[in-house]
Amino acid sequence: MKAILTTAIGGFLVLGLAGAANAATPQMEKCFGVAKAGMNDCSSNKSSHSCAGQATKNSDSNDFVALPKGTCNKIANGSLVADAMMKKAM
Amino acid sequence: MTEYTDELNRFMRAIVQGTDVSPQIDTIYQNYSLDIAIEIYRNNYRGNLHDALTGAYPVILQLVGDEFFRYLTRSYIGQYPSVSANLYHYGEQMSVFLQEFPPAQALPYLPDVAVLEWTCQIAYFATDEPNFALDKLALIPAEQHPNLILHTACHVLRSNYPLTAIWQAHQPGADIQINLASGGSIALVSRLANIVQVSELSEADACWLQRIQVRDTLGLATEATLALHPDFNLQATLLALLKQGVLTGFHLESTS
Repeated sequence: MKAILTTAIGGFLVLGLAGAANAATPQMEKCFGVAKAGMNDCSSNKSSHSCAGQATKNSDSNDFVALPKGTCNKIANGSLVADAMMKKAM
Repeated sequence: MTEYTDELNRFMRAIVQGTDVSPQIDTIYQNYSLDIAIEIYRNNYRGNLHDALTGAYPVILQLVGDEFFRYLTRSYIGQYPSVSANLYHYGEQMSVFLQEFPPAQALPYLPDVAVLEWTCQIAYFATDEPNFALDKLALIPAEQHPNLILHTACHVLRSNYPLTAIWQAHQPGADIQINLASGGSIALVSRLANIVQVSELSEADACWLQRIQVRDTLGLATEATLALHPDFNLQATLLALLKQGVLTGFHLESTS
């Protein structure tokens, strides 16, 4: 065991110190209130809801059919419903 | 004072749960009725939380589409009020919620995606860890290597679905070529500088890393892993983890 560790750590040190491995982790200063990409706050409210636009009771009801319509449709074998329907069709 | 607190609580319920406001509440805006003003307040509250969830769950948003995501967040927000002043703390229960949200039942992998995305959120906001000090490791005599305890900054998640592939397929510029029947996945979440990465771990690497995470010594962890996975390559694993920013430091177990 000791030999395995010594060899592995030896190689790790040589390659690690020589390679750009550690250099790939620049120390970056994080500012307070750092925002995730695309999450800069001031503008994000406008895109998803305008106060006037949604200020009705109507927006409370979910009167549309609740079906996912995103990339999940592209995942093969990704939906239980689709599977069940396929089995019925067969 | 109690009356004031009662009023505030009643107002909170009006915003969060949609109950009636107190007759003592009034609006200073002449152009809006009280009902409209409360609706605006309520929609701002929901809109901010919706945006917080959009930021935390970008892959789920893509998976289900805008309309369904809005429907989903509307239900989530009704069920889980915000309890922190920091919006980045909002959304932790999404996985639990999705397990029980009837319209999402057709997508059984969604709760696991939520766990992964929340883990990425935690990793993103985690305190910076130091770079691994290779030069200090070089000073450790070889006979001490088995007693090394490595420090790590990462999360390991196991899923019955190809979780890593699903996440990677929804990063900018990636193609979606996933077959859910392709089986399970072990996802490694790490952060390099300010970029959170998700990569696939082999069974052997996961076995070793999970022992290292619970502070097994390098000797014990490696021995146990080799017993189960004879092809485990310690040097390659160490280098890969160093590059991913997973290794942050080490100390020696005090031997008696």
